[in-house]
Amino acid sequence: MYQDVINEHFLNPRNVGEVSGAGARGTAASFVCGAVVRVTLKVDGDRRIVAAKFKAAGCSFLVAANSILTSAVLSKTTAEAAVLVQSPAVLDQLGSALADKQHCGSLAREAMLNAIRNYSDAARAEWAADDALICTCFGISEQRIENEILSGELRTVAEVTQVCKAGAGCGSCYKLIEDILDDYLRTRSYQSL
Amino acid sequence: MIYLDNNATTRTAPEVFAAMQPYLTEYYGNPSSAHSLGRTMKLAVERARVQVANLLGATNSNEIVFTSCGSEADNWAIRGVLEQSPHNKHIVTTLVEHEAVRNLCAKLETQGYEVTWLGVNGRGELDLDELSAALRLDTALVSVMLANNETGVLFPIDAIGKIVHENSNAVFHVDGVQAVGKIPINLSELDVDLFALSGHKLHAPQGVGALYIKNGTPLSAQMIGGSQEGGRRAGTSAVPNIVGLGIACELATDFHPDVERLRDRLEAEVLARIPNARVNGMKEPGKRLPNTANISFEYIEGENILRLLDEAGICVSTGSACHSSTHQSSPTLHAMNVPFSIARGSIRFSLSRYTTDEEITRILEVLPGIIQKLGEMSPYEKELRALSSLP
Repeated sequence: MYQDVINEHFLNPRNVGEVSGAGARGTAASFVCGAVVRVTLKVDGDRRIVAAKFKAAGCSFLVAANSILTSAVLSKTTAEAAVLVQSPAVLDQLGSALADKQHCGSLAREAMLNAIRNYSDAARAEWAADDALICTCFGISEQRIENEILSGELRTVAEVTQVCKAGAGCGSCYKLIEDILDDYLRTRSYQSL
Repeated sequence: MIYLDNNATTRTAPEVFAAMQPYLTEYYGNPSSAHSLGRTMKLAVERARVQVANLLGATNSNEIVFTSCGSEADNWAIRGVLEQSPHNKHIVTTLVEHEAVRNLCAKLETQGYEVTWLGVNGRGELDLDELSAALRLDTALVSVMLANNETGVLFPIDAIGKIVHENSNAVFHVDGVQAVGKIPINLSELDVDLFALSGHKLHAPQGVGALYIKNGTPLSAQMIGGSQEGGRRAGTSAVPNIVGLGIACELATDFHPDVERLRDRLEAEVLARIPNARVNGMKEPGKRLPNTANISFEYIEGENILRLLDEAGICVSTGSACHSSTHQSSPTLHAMNVPFSIARGSIRFSLSRYTTDEEITRILEVLPGIIQKLGEMSPYEKELRALSSLP
């Protein structure tokens, strides 16, 4: 039954190719099996994915997984797409939980997530407002995160994510949130001396 | 269906099936029985033995012993020789042998034997100087295939046999499974002690093989039981299969010239039409099986080509397969140092006497489209573009 779905997507893969004028791209490669995936995305001003395409050199399962993922993220916001791609259920219809297919499924997810992160990094870099943008997926600013840390006495990225969703999407801001926490904790321990 | 996977197995020839039928119906006796039905069976087995001996050019039909398959013949040859010389713990073989030899030698390596694995060059050829240098006083056995199952490349077993016998006391075993029925063989003129074959590779049914044991070659029995096969291999003879093998050997003696012509046509036209196609292994006539074309489509996944050809009703095989996230590229292409991007796109087309011009035409109609479709999916578009702009 899984094989039928894999076959159908392998024989008629959706979204093969490269999005013209793509705003984001993500690749993933396996040193274990040699497979390579490249995903390109076009994201509109409301952070909605309006086009997603892939190219893959790998097994039929990998092709099917990319076909499904590129279809699944269409018209989703990058935040929604990032959450979806990381949910174990997204490739259930291919039997991705089977031990010998986990590797191929992860590779497809990784390429998609990398494309979303690529978009987030670019959007963050282009952000022009005074208050720096940290979490592109959920639109959370540096100021907001600092306030949450201060008022909630937060210590970890997980706590920050729990309180204000920053970092709950593609995860590209994880390191930035960590830096903010480090700065805060350093300042505080200095003050307490 | 177009079947171009004849190195994996072949269809049973209609003549073979017809000859086997009486032995699956009215002639159901045991060739070891003393009554007339038993004698009828015994005669059938002996007739088949002569037919096999004729195809191999064996001096005497008593040099042919029937087995259940090619792997049994290979296993018997190797273990049977080693048992005869318990103090000689050295084996010489190649990196490109069929699993029946390769995996057995690898296992023996863990059981106190030392194995010298001879490599091949990029064309799939052995270095005979490397072979000479590998031979030692305690070398018990040299096991080398005649024809490679993946590329069809032939090893010069006569020259190898001479080197082995002039420089050591080792017994020389040849895995001839992939060659029998495809090229003429004359064992009486070759320096070969043991030679394995398998019925289903030459239009006999699955479940029968044979081992040629040159008279005078010391070999211990491995299947112990009754006195069948002159006491060399116990077990009631599979008479229908043995009869089938005999007839298949008789049919094979014509060495259909069309096979090579069709293979060359397929190969030439694929290379002319598909820019990223290249042949693996030697192409010179006489250095390769006439029925095998191992062609790589660079930057394309062989497994996917196989699947799409299968959809179009064409059966081939690939040396490249993905198992549980590790990519297993073909041992032969790996030993030949074929780069990964080429090895993973390898497809083996293996023809038979039943292959027709129409079938080759059909393959040439669908294959370029399949390669193009998969090429459009490949993230190596720059590399593919570079290949197609070559003169």
